[in-house]
Amino acid sequence: MLPRAAFLIGLVVVVVALAVYPVFGTGYGVRAGLQMFMWIALAGSWNLISGLTGYVSFGHVAFFGIGAYAGAILITTAGWAWPLAALAGGAAACLLALLIGYPCLRLKGPYFAIAMLGLNEVLRALVSYFEGLTGGGSGLSLPTLDASRAIYYVMGGLAAAVVAATYLIVTSRFGLRLMTIREDEVAAEAMGIDTFHHKLAAFLLSAAGPGIAGALTARDQGYIEPISVFPLIVTVTMIVMALFGGKGTVWGPVVGAVALFVIQEIVWARYPHAHPLLFGAIIVAVVLLMPRGVLGLLQLRYRLPRTI
Amino acid sequence: MNVAVTPAMIGQVLVSGVLAGALYALVALGLALIFGVMRVINIAHGPLLMLGAYVTYFLYSQTGLNPFLAVPVAMVTLFVVGLLLQRTLVFRVVGAPELSSLLLTFGISIALVNLTQLAFTSNLRTIEYITGSWIVGGLALSKARTIAFVFAASLTALAFVFLRSTRLGKAIRATSQSREVAMVCGIDVGRIHLLTFGLASALAAAGGGLLAVIVAIQPEMGGVWTFKSFLVIVLGGAGNYPGALLGGMLLGLVEQLASLFLTTQLSEVVAYVLLVLVLLVRPSGLLGGRQT
Repeated sequence: MLPRAAFLIGLVVVVVALAVYPVFGTGYGVRAGLQMFMWIALAGSWNLISGLTGYVSFGHVAFFGIGAYAGAILITTAGWAWPLAALAGGAAACLLALLIGYPCLRLKGPYFAIAMLGLNEVLRALVSYFEGLTGGGSGLSLPTLDASRAIYYVMGGLAAAVVAATYLIVTSRFGLRLMTIREDEVAAEAMGIDTFHHKLAAFLLSAAGPGIAGALTARDQGYIEPISVFPLIVTVTMIVMALFGGKGTVWGPVVGAVALFVIQEIVWARYPHAHPLLFGAIIVAVVLLMPRGVLGLLQLRYRLPRTI
Repeated sequence: MNVAVTPAMIGQVLVSGVLAGALYALVALGLALIFGVMRVINIAHGPLLMLGAYVTYFLYSQTGLNPFLAVPVAMVTLFVVGLLLQRTLVFRVVGAPELSSLLLTFGISIALVNLTQLAFTSNLRTIEYITGSWIVGGLALSKARTIAFVFAASLTALAFVFLRSTRLGKAIRATSQSREVAMVCGIDVGRIHLLTFGLASALAAAGGGLLAVIVAIQPEMGGVWTFKSFLVIVLGGAGNYPGALLGGMLLGLVEQLASLFLTTQLSEVVAYVLLVLVLLVRPSGLLGGRQT
């Protein structure tokens, strides 16, 4: 019981510290905290579909981008308040996930992974094509508004919600069924699990977070363009974070996001052009050497429960 | 957009579609081989094509070699690269859950693209070796595309003869039909995997080299090709090698038709919609294939 109590106390301390930080923190610090929350939410969301069901999404940035565009368009043309626009961004991402997931998740095998790989290119082409609505290649500017501190809290809440949702799912029958699909989909079907609808539900859940995060980021940065909201590197980064920390666990994506974000800010910021090379190498190394990530290693060594 | 469509335009579209389709078939055959033999979808297939394009480009620009003669050199180079990749990394995930092989080849793919960017920058590069068109019966045939078509079609035919008639080709097909039975028959399955990956990389390199003669190349050109090659396999039916031919031609034609009636900007969207439709209506492919 003792380690569990220590863990909970530690968690409360960290949350309180993060909650009071903006009161005296610098503008840069708040912005960095906001980005860290964003990565936790993104890596955690990717984990919901890919970590739990084993269906790899190579295009999760699509939900981030569609959320950013939906939010930005609603703010600029319809004059929505940004928190409402953020929710709409999440809804838009879920709608897209339904469109893609319905045909691609009915089948076993790599169809889903490839469809997600292609989705990125398609959305970038579409956004550039429908210039009237999206501003095309020249981008979309939002009215100026300094809401960094407010967005910090909302993004933090989003990250917390993704982690909480993961915990609830992993400890539920729904989560067990998802993990059964990951381990053996045919056996899952034979046991009477409606695999298609379970996969689809997990996919919709995993799309909502990035959609909201995208809309929040668009509001925070005040300007978006196709290249800035659909970059492949965002997908790569969230995959690396979730894998490094430990896919299929509750805290793995959090550990991965915090560790890699901090290292990235301190060490790698000097070599921005080599990030993909480094991330590619980490993915290869993690898949071959520690497929369960940092948390998986700790779980094995210290006999930690599955639900961390 | 409201230009009247004349029979000549349709003819032109058909010809252009077939010219492009042979290249799709050639590249997709490589991806289909790896998938058939190892059950691995090689996300790095497109980036390997890109490497083939760069080898061809540099042979042409540095040594002045005829680019069509540089293509075989690129194939040999990428054959070796493929062997090394399979020997060091990919063999470890053969037979592992699909997630592992997808992620591993994805990691290789972004590392290869980034390495190329660091080494050669992201600048567009072109081989201006052959320009202009032949006019045949009122149809314009781009010289570069027509010669590339002849190469692609011959290489694809060669690959099929190899698979059908040689002992090694038969061993590859046997392994893709049943790994265990192939082993029992005395086939060294590990060696077949190695050769298949090398061969598939060489086919991708051929596609890349021919592409370099037709269009400008840059390090990120490969991603779309992984996707399109997969689409070609889905159209033809997974595990059905001749299906790749049909799938390639079909994709070429559909894209050309789309550029006639819509716009070339949306050709990737059209390919995507095609994939989704096929998955909805006939997931086993148009010719039917082995279920995965």
